[in-house]
Amino acid sequence: MHPSIAGLVSHAPLRVAGLSSLILFLSIALFAPLIAPYDPQETGSPYQPPNAEHRLGTNDIGQDILSELIYATRVSLAIGFMAGSISIIIGATLGMLAGYYRGRIEELVMAISDVVLLVPGLPLMIILAAYLSPSMWNIIFVVGLLWWCSTTRVVHSRVLQLREMPFVEAARSLGAGDGYIMLHHILINCKEIIQAKFALAVASAMLTEASLSFLGLGDPLNISWGEMIHFAFSRGGFANDMWWWYLPPGLMICASVLGFVMISMEPERSQKALEL
Amino acid sequence: MRGRRDYLLGKLIRYGFTLFLILSLNFALPRMMPGDPIINLLGENALHNDPEMIELLRAEHGLDQPIHIQYIRYLCQLTEINLGYSIHKNLSVVELLTSSLFWTVLLVFPSDVFGSLLALLCGSLAGFKINSRADYLLTAIALSLYTCPAFLLAMLFLSLFAFHLGLFPLGNLTSGGKEGIDYLLDVVWHLSLPVAALSLLGGASKFLVVRNSVMQISDQQFVVAARAKGLTEGRILNKHIIRNVLPPFISMVALSFGFMVSGALIIEIVFSLNGMGTLIYDAVLARDYPVMQGCFFILTIFVLFANFAADMLYALADPRIGRSS
Repeated sequence: MHPSIAGLVSHAPLRVAGLSSLILFLSIALFAPLIAPYDPQETGSPYQPPNAEHRLGTNDIGQDILSELIYATRVSLAIGFMAGSISIIIGATLGMLAGYYRGRIEELVMAISDVVLLVPGLPLMIILAAYLSPSMWNIIFVVGLLWWCSTTRVVHSRVLQLREMPFVEAARSLGAGDGYIMLHHILINCKEIIQAKFALAVASAMLTEASLSFLGLGDPLNISWGEMIHFAFSRGGFANDMWWWYLPPGLMICASVLGFVMISMEPERSQKALEL
Repeated sequence: MRGRRDYLLGKLIRYGFTLFLILSLNFALPRMMPGDPIINLLGENALHNDPEMIELLRAEHGLDQPIHIQYIRYLCQLTEINLGYSIHKNLSVVELLTSSLFWTVLLVFPSDVFGSLLALLCGSLAGFKINSRADYLLTAIALSLYTCPAFLLAMLFLSLFAFHLGLFPLGNLTSGGKEGIDYLLDVVWHLSLPVAALSLLGGASKFLVVRNSVMQISDQQFVVAARAKGLTEGRILNKHIIRNVLPPFISMVALSFGFMVSGALIIEIVFSLNGMGTLIYDAVLARDYPVMQGCFFILTIFVLFANFAADMLYALADPRIGRSS
């Protein structure tokens, strides 16, 4: 067991670092009730600086910021994961269909992704989120629906190479149907790209969610890190230099996004996946 | 020359199609979304009117007519540059937008230029000297900027350089009461922190791409040949590698324009600059839908136009485009 772990660490140190940081965040999210010193809903005396009772002080209605931070891990990670999944499912499906069938479908998919890439994402998401009621699910839906283009492009170009390969031709000559070939030969060979893109999609989804929440479009019942900063910013925490209120959630966002970006990095072609 | 004309024509059709879709989306959204379209079109303040008045407003905005007539009406209104009226602010949306757009462009444009130049410079250095100490340092900085949300970086800059060190103003576009050169310098002083933040944010993602393409090109045969000829390293980088990175770099800069605008919106809010971002923020808080839609519409047109211009530039920069293959 030991040599293989050591080998993995030396072969892909960034991936291991990313994975361990994510395991840490996941366990914070899972065991939030055990770790958090207080109930995040519980109110007390407001605007306290960090002290022995409240390690990170209290917010404008006297809730313990540390507990709020720990519970927000759940919301931020859940939104990131689910929005990332939606975008990767749409992106991979469209990319595979376009690359495999070519012709009209390819033209249509590429034209749509061109258009979506041209539209500035944040303003459109702001409008959509403002029309829909502020809930976690609407944010997941909005972010997931607008973040699939880059996955489609990468998967599409990979499938274009794969479909001409001898083993695909062989499978076809053995009488395999399109569905079988796509599931058993093409999808399997796109696995690595899709994995890397998934990690990046979650990272982008978390950043976008943070921006939307910062603008006050987040779910008031499920406070995320971005929303904590929104409250710190709009209710005097920032103006009064209460760094213990806005800095910890900001650092949590950075650290978790960095974790996801690091997972997607491969030693031989690092940052390749970061391109568009 | 024919090939080049076909290329430009193809681009033109693509942009025309995109513009048409955006116009339709802008039309469909308030009518499609949950809730009363009259609220979606006029903002929540419209509800303060009595029921008769609401019916009158509904007729005035043509909401009692069939959908295709509404669509034609909507297109006609656009040709007259009419984007509706904000009941909340008591001003027409076009009036609100014109001054805001100017300040947003003033923030986005220099940031895009600085950020891109910085990315090209540092990216080619890091990619050329891959796995060196400079490469590790630059990549680490770029990665941490890449993962940092725009508002956090802006807040940190504001808190550190303006609040604690007092080097820059705490916000706003001008201190007021100045004219001529003094006014210009004052605006530059006020804009320097936001521009710095946005340049770094935009530069970080571009840096990673430039580094990667320079790294790939450095492996190619013609670079080995150039080195064998005895060219200096600087000459190889400047004349042979960067020349090959430029065309994809230009198209990347163009595509990132939408991202830059999104970043600018957030940064404006933190620095309380009176641009589109602040306008959108106020509109979101007041659920002032006409302003939100007008902002979205103008920003999209702006981004489309910038992309179109960049595509034209690309055709000029890359001599291979339009040559029949």
